[in-house]
Amino acid sequence: MSYILDNIVFICYNLYYKFVFCIFWFEILTFTIFYILKYSLFSILFIYIFNFKANAACIMTLPKILESYHTQSNVWDELMSQTGVRESYLHLVKTLEGLSAEEMGNKDELAKKLFMTQGITFTVYSDNEGVEKIFPFDIIPRIIEAKEWAIIEAGVKQRLRALNVFLKDVYHQQFIIKDGIVPAKLIYSCPLFLREMMNVNVPFDIYSHISGIDLIRDADGSFYVLEDNLRTPSGVSYMLENRSITFRIFPDLIPRNNVRRVIEYPSLLLKNLLGLANRQTSNPTVVLLTPGVYNSAYFEHTTLARLMGIELVEGRDLVVENHHVYMKTTSGLQKVDVIYRRVDDEFIDPLTFRPDSILGVPGIYWAYRKGNVAIVNAMGNGVADDKAVYSYVPDMIRYYLNEEPILKNVPTYGLDVPENRSMVFANMGNMVIKKTNESGGYGMLMGNKATEEEMEEYKKAILEDPRNFIAQPIINLSSSPCYIDGKLQPRRVDLRPFALYGPDGINIVPGGLTRVALREGSLVVNSSQGGGSKDTWVLGE
Amino acid sequence: MLSRVAESVFWLARYMERTNGLLRVLRTNYIASQDEIREYNWKTVLQTYGYLDAAKIEPIQFDSRAVLNYVMLDRDNDASLINNITRARENAKAVQDHITKEMWHTLNGYYLLIREGSIQRTIKYGDPITALDALLKHGLFLYGTINVTMSRGEAYNFLNVGLYVERAVITTDVTDIKLKEIDYDMAHETATPSLRYLLYSLSGYEAYLKSSRGIVEPDTIIKQILYDEDFVHSILYCTSHISRYFKRLYGQSIPESYEHVDFLIGKGLNNLKYSSCNLKEGDSIRSLLAQTRTDLHNIARAFNKHYFGYN
Repeated sequence: MSYILDNIVFICYNLYYKFVFCIFWFEILTFTIFYILKYSLFSILFIYIFNFKANAACIMTLPKILESYHTQSNVWDELMSQTGVRESYLHLVKTLEGLSAEEMGNKDELAKKLFMTQGITFTVYSDNEGVEKIFPFDIIPRIIEAKEWAIIEAGVKQRLRALNVFLKDVYHQQFIIKDGIVPAKLIYSCPLFLREMMNVNVPFDIYSHISGIDLIRDADGSFYVLEDNLRTPSGVSYMLENRSITFRIFPDLIPRNNVRRVIEYPSLLLKNLLGLANRQTSNPTVVLLTPGVYNSAYFEHTTLARLMGIELVEGRDLVVENHHVYMKTTSGLQKVDVIYRRVDDEFIDPLTFRPDSILGVPGIYWAYRKGNVAIVNAMGNGVADDKAVYSYVPDMIRYYLNEEPILKNVPTYGLDVPENRSMVFANMGNMVIKKTNESGGYGMLMGNKATEEEMEEYKKAILEDPRNFIAQPIINLSSSPCYIDGKLQPRRVDLRPFALYGPDGINIVPGGLTRVALREGSLVVNSSQGGGSKDTWVLGE
Repeated sequence: MLSRVAESVFWLARYMERTNGLLRVLRTNYIASQDEIREYNWKTVLQTYGYLDAAKIEPIQFDSRAVLNYVMLDRDNDASLINNITRARENAKAVQDHITKEMWHTLNGYYLLIREGSIQRTIKYGDPITALDALLKHGLFLYGTINVTMSRGEAYNFLNVGLYVERAVITTDVTDIKLKEIDYDMAHETATPSLRYLLYSLSGYEAYLKSSRGIVEPDTIIKQILYDEDFVHSILYCTSHISRYFKRLYGQSIPESYEHVDFLIGKGLNNLKYSSCNLKEGDSIRSLLAQTRTDLHNIARAFNKHYFGYN
C-alpha cells in the first residue's frame, strides 16, 4: 500500500513539476511574444510619428514658400498631392526650405545672368537695333518619377512607330486610305502633304528622325498627347542648357536626387545621322542646315552643330551638281552625305517648292529623291503632324501595330464635319480652336478668354475654310511650382520629350523641355505668348 | 572650312582689331585734348571715324564729350565703336561652332559691356578714360582668351590673318593722319609732340624710349612704326605675320588660290622691306604709305576672291 502511495505521490510530484516547467516556458514564450509585439507596434508607431513629423517639418518650416502655394481643384499639381508634398519633390523642398528669400532671389538673378552672358539669347530687331532677349527660365525643376517616365517612353515610342509607318504608307501604297481608316479627303486637303514625296524611298524607311511630342496632364494625372511635332521640332538646346544652368544654381542637388542624364542627346543624334549616310562612304560628311543668324532658333542650331562637331551651313554654302550636294569650302567643293535641316519644306528647294526662297538649295530635292543625300527629317512629314490628322493617330496605332494606344489623345473635332461645327459653335466658351497647320501658339483661340468679337471672327474664318480648323475641349494642364515674385506659385506646364529614331531603333533622352505658362491663369505655354521653360528631371529607379 | 565661315572669322578679327585701334586712338586724343592749352580740334578723328559732313562737324569739333559720344555710341555712325563690336559679335555668332565657347562668351561679354548703362553714362557724363580703359581691358582679355583656348587650326589662322591685315591698315592710316596734321613736314615745329601721340596710339611709346634712349626724333619714330620687327604694331611686323599665318593654310587651300595670294603677300612684304624710303622726307613716306595701303587692299581682295567665294 505504501508502495502504491509512494508511486502515486511520485507521479503527482512529477506531473506537478512538468506542469510548473510547462507554465514556466509558456510564460517565457508569452512574454517574448508580448514584448516583440509590444515593441514592434511601438516601433511602427514611432516610425509613423517620426515620419509624420519629418514630413510635417518640411511643410511646417517652409511656410514662407509653401504658404502662398495654392493649388487649384481639378488641376493635377506636380508638387502637391491631396496629402502633402509628393515623395519625388521631398529632397527639393528640403533644399528650398534652407534658403532665404534673398538666396532664392540671387539664384533667380544668377540664372538670368548666365543665360545672357553665355549668349543663350535670341535677337529681336526693332528700330534698326537688335535687342537681346532670353527665353524666360524658371529655376524650380519639374520632376517626373521613374514609373511615370516608363509610361511616357513606351507611349511615345509606340506613337512614333505608328506615325512612321503611316508616312511610309501615305507616300506609297496608301493602305490606310484604301481600308477606310483615314479619309482620302483629309490627306489630300492637307497643305503639308507633298505630292513630290510620292514613291520616294527614304533610308531605312525612317521619316521622323527627330520628334518632339507635346504631352499634357489632366486632372487625374494621366498623360495626353497634345500634338506631334515631326518636322523641325525645336527646344532641345534649352533642355541641355536648362540642365547646365540648374547645376550652377543648385549645386549637388541633381546627383542627390538621382536625376537621369540628358547630355547624351548630341552623341545619339550624331550616331543616327552617320548611320543614314550612303554605305559606300566610310567617312560621311554630316551638316546642319540653318536658315541663318536671324532665325529665332539660331542658338539651338549652333549649339547642336558644336556639340556634334559638324559643320553649320546656310543654303548659300551648299550647291548641287549632277544631283549631288556639295559645300563650298576654302579648299574647294566637298561632298555632303547627310543634312540635318532646320529649314521648312517649303523653303528648302526654290526649284521645287517656293521659288522666292533664298534659304534653301536649288536642286536639293532631286539629289534627295535620287538617294544621293539623306535629309533629316524627311520632307513631307507635315501630313502626319497636321492637327486634323492628329485625331486619327489612335486608329493608326490600332491599324498598323495592332496595339491599344498607351498615351491618350485629347478629343479633337475636325470643323469640316457639319455636326462637329454646330456643336463647337454652341460651346465655344469651353473650347480651344486651332488652325491645323500653325504652331507656336499662333492661330489659336482660347474660348474661355476670347471676347464675343473674337469668337465671331473665328466663326467667320471657320466657315470660309473649315478644313483649316479643329476644336478641342479646354484641358486643365497640370501645374508645377514656379519661383515668381519672390514666392512659389503654381503655373501650368506641358512637356516635350525628344525622340530620336535611327537605324537601331527609337531612343528618348530621359528629360525634355517643360514649357510653362508664366502668366497667372494662362494655359498657353508657347514662348511667343509669354511662356518660359524649366529644367525637367526624370528620376532613376 | 566653309568659305563663309572663313570670311566671318576673318572679319570677326578685323572688327575686333578695329575696335582695339579705335579705342587707343580715342584714348590718346582725349588725353591730348585735356593737355592742350588751346581748344583741341577733333576734326580729323571725326572725318576718319564718321560720316559727318563739314557743316555737322563744325559745331562739335571742339566738344570732346560730343565727339566721344558720336564715335563710340552712335548707332547711326557706321564706323562707331558700338557698331564695330556688334559686327564682331554677329560674325562670331555665325561661326560659333568654329570658335571656342570661352571666346564666344568673352566676345558676348564685350558686347554686353558696351551696351551697359554704366559705361554709357561714364562716357557721357563721367571720366571717359575709365570707360575707355574698361573696354580696352576687355579687348585684351578677348585676345588672351583666343590665345589660350583656340585650337591652332584653320579658323585660328584666318583669325590671325584678319587681325594682322587690319592692324597693318590701322597703323598705315593712323600714321598717315598724324603726318597730314603736320603736312608731311618732318621738320614741322609740332612734329615731335604729334608723333609722340602717334606712338601712344600704337602702344609703342615705351618701346621707343627703350630703344632710342629717350631721344625723340621724327624719323626714328617713323622707322619704328614702319620697320621694327619687334614692335607688334609696326607695318613690317604685321605683314610678316600675315605671311606667317597664311603659309599655315597651305594644306587646306586650292594650290592656284594659295599661289596667287602668297604672291601678293610676298610682293607687299618686299615692297616694304626693300623700299628706298627716305625717312626724313615727307613725300617719300607718303608714297610708301600709299603703296603699303594698296598692297594690303590687294591682299584682302585676293582673300575675297580665292578663299571667300567671291569669284
